[in-house]
Amino acid sequence: MRMRFTGLLLALLLLAIPAAAQTPGVTDSEIVIGLTTPLSGPAAAWGNTALAAEAWANHVNTQGGINGRKLRVLMKDDGYNPGRAVANLKEMKDQVFLNVGLLGSAILNAAKDDVAEYKLPVINPYGNPAIWAKQPRAKIRYVFVNYPDYADEAEFLTKFSVDKLGAKKVAVFYQNDDYGKGGLEGVNRALKGLGGKATLAAAVSYELSDREMGTHALKLKDSGADAVVFYSTITHGANVIKEMAKVGFRPKPVASFPLGDYLIMFRLLGELWEGAHFAILSGAAVANDPPGKVLVDILTKVQPKLVGKENTALTGFTSMAIALEGIRKAGRNLTRESYVEAMESVKGFTAEGILPGVTFGPNRRHGLNAVRLLRANKAADFSYVEAAPTQFFQPHF
Amino acid sequence: MDLVESYAEDLRFARRPAARVLLGLLLAALAVFPWVAAEHLVFLATLIALYSIGVIGQNLLIGYTGQISFGQAGFLAIGAFAFGHLRIWGAPFALALLGAGALAAVAGVFVGFPSLRLKGPYLSIATLGFGVAVYQVFVNWEVLSGGRSGLAIASLQPMFGLSGTRWTYYVYVLLLTGFTLAAYNIVSSFIGRAFVAIRDSDIAAEVNGVSLTRYKLLAFAISSFYTGVHGALYAQILGHIEPQIFNVLESITLFVAVIIGGVASIEGSILGAVFVTLVPKVFANFREMVPVVYGVTILLVLIFEPLGLFGRWLKTRLYFQLWPFR
Repeated sequence: MRMRFTGLLLALLLLAIPAAAQTPGVTDSEIVIGLTTPLSGPAAAWGNTALAAEAWANHVNTQGGINGRKLRVLMKDDGYNPGRAVANLKEMKDQVFLNVGLLGSAILNAAKDDVAEYKLPVINPYGNPAIWAKQPRAKIRYVFVNYPDYADEAEFLTKFSVDKLGAKKVAVFYQNDDYGKGGLEGVNRALKGLGGKATLAAAVSYELSDREMGTHALKLKDSGADAVVFYSTITHGANVIKEMAKVGFRPKPVASFPLGDYLIMFRLLGELWEGAHFAILSGAAVANDPPGKVLVDILTKVQPKLVGKENTALTGFTSMAIALEGIRKAGRNLTRESYVEAMESVKGFTAEGILPGVTFGPNRRHGLNAVRLLRANKAADFSYVEAAPTQFFQPHF
Repeated sequence: MDLVESYAEDLRFARRPAARVLLGLLLAALAVFPWVAAEHLVFLATLIALYSIGVIGQNLLIGYTGQISFGQAGFLAIGAFAFGHLRIWGAPFALALLGAGALAAVAGVFVGFPSLRLKGPYLSIATLGFGVAVYQVFVNWEVLSGGRSGLAIASLQPMFGLSGTRWTYYVYVLLLTGFTLAAYNIVSSFIGRAFVAIRDSDIAAEVNGVSLTRYKLLAFAISSFYTGVHGALYAQILGHIEPQIFNVLESITLFVAVIIGGVASIEGSILGAVFVTLVPKVFANFREMVPVVYGVTILLVLIFEPLGLFGRWLKTRLYFQLWPFR
C-alpha cells in the first residue's frame, strides 16, 4: 500500500516537472493566444477587432498552423471594465502564450505593471501609446505597439487643413478624455508651429454619454471655423455633422482615425460625408484597396458577423498577423524569450500587404507610428481618393 | 431553543455555539484561501471584498434607512481621487483611506440635505444628478483628476514576504471584516433602529423623538464613508484612475448588488457583491451574450427570491434548524 502511494507520488512529481519548465500556452501541437476585449458594454463595437483576430487565427489553422502547431484563441469579455480585464489577464497569464489587442486606455493603465511582472507578451494594445512611452525600458520588454500617437496625428491633420485646404480658422470637436485631449494638444502644437497662418476658432468638447449634439453644432457654427478637426467616436462625429448641416453650416471635416471607417460614415451621413478628410490607422490598406479586399473575403467567410464592419476587421487582423509573425520567426523552439528576440528582428512587415511596414528592434517597441489620409468622394459608390501619402511619425519608444 | 433573556444577549454576535463554529470555519477558510486558490481567484476575492464594503454602505442607506440613492459613482470618485492625491502627497495607506472615507462622508452630508425635503423618486433623481455632477467636475478640472491621462497610484508594499496579490487580499479582507462588524453594530444600536424607523414611517419616527435631520444626514454620511472607502480600495487595486471609470454604470452595479443581495441585510450585501463580481466573470466566455445572461440571472433571482440571495440563505438556515421536521 505504502509503496504504491510513494510510486504514485513519484509519478505525479515526474509529470509535474516538465509541465513547470514549459512555456505557458505552448505544447507540441498547440499555441494558445489570449484576448480580453469589450464584447459587451459601451465599447462593444471595438470588440469586433478581437473577432477578426480570432478569424485570422482560424484561417491560419486551415492553412496548416505555424511551425507544426495549431493556434487556439482564448477570448474573454471584459466589458471595457479595468477590474474585469485585470482579472481576465491574471487568469490567462499561465494558460496563454501571449495577449493580442488589449483595448482601452484605462485598461492598459491598470494592466501595465501586471503584464510586465508576468512577462506576458502584449501585442498591439489599442490605446494611447504614451502610456508605454512613460514606462521604464525594462517593463516594456514584452510589449509591441503599432498605434499612432494622437497628438502627432492631430498635428499633421491641422497642418494639412491649413496648408492644403486653406483653412484660416480651425475648430476642434473632441471627446472630453485622454483621446480627445491628446488631439487638442496636437492641434494647438500645429497652430503654434504655423506661426499665425491660422487660429483656433473653437475647441468644443462632449461627453461619451452625451447624445444630443445640437448645441455643440451651434457652438461650432458660431466660431465661424472653415475646418473642423474631429477627435470623437463615429456616432458623435456623425451626429454633430448632421446637426451642423441642419443649421446650414458645412465646414471641411478633417477626422482622426476612429472615424476612418468610411463605409459606416457614408451609411450614416450619405452626401454630408462627401469631401471629408479622414485618417486611416497605421496607414493601413482599407477594405476596398486590393489587398484589403482579399483579406475581407477571408475574414468574413470565417466570421460572418464581420460583414459591415470590414475596416474594423482589418485592424483586428493586422494585430493578429503581427503577433503570428513573431511566432513564425521564433521557429519550433518557442519560448517567450525566443519570441521577443524574433519580434525584435521584424523589419518592414506588411501583414499580407495591408501595412506600410512594421519594424521593431532591441530599442524599438513602437513599430509603426503612422496614418494615411483619404478624402471621401461619392456617397453613391462609397468611393474615396488618396489625399496625402502615408505620414510616418517618429516612434516614441 | 433560541431563548434570549436579556438585551445584551440579543446584541451578541453569533449567539449559539454552532454559529460560532461556522463563523470560525469561515474565517479560517478566508485565511487559507489565497494559499490554495489560483491567483486570479484571489484577485476576484479581493474585488469582492472591496465591493462588499461599498454595498454594505449603500444597504445602510437604501435598505435600512429607505433613502433610494443613485449617487454612488460620485462618492466612489471622491473617495478614489482623494485617496490618490493623499497617497501621492506621501500619506500612508491607512491615513489616505481614512481621508478618502471622511471626504466622501462630508460630501454625503452635503447630498443628504435634499433628502430632508425630497422622497422616493425625487431623491433618486437628485442623487443621480450629484453623481453626474461629480463626474463632470473631475473630467473638467484636471487639477483634481490628475491631468488628461489620470492619476497613477503606487501599489501597496507587501509585508511578511507575501506576494502582492496575497497581501492585498489579506488587507482587504481584514478591512471588510472591520467594516462588517461596524455595520452590525450600527444596525443593532439606537442609530440602526432610528434608520429603520425613518424607513418605515418618517412621521412616526419624528413623533417618537427621532431627529430626521440628524439621522438622515448620518445615514448619508456613514454610507458615503463606506462608499468612499470602496472607491479608494478600487483605486489602490487598479493602480491608476481616471474619471471615466466612475460612470453611472457603477452606481447601478452597486444598486443591483443591494437589491440582489437582500435589502436591509449585511450578509446579503456581501452576497450581492459576490453576485455582481462573479456573474459577469463566470460568464466571460459567453462573449457578447454576457449582458443578456447577467440580466436574465438578475430577473431569475428577483422572481424566485424576492428577498434576494439573503432570503435563500434564511430559508436554508430555517430548513436545517427544523430538520428533520418540515
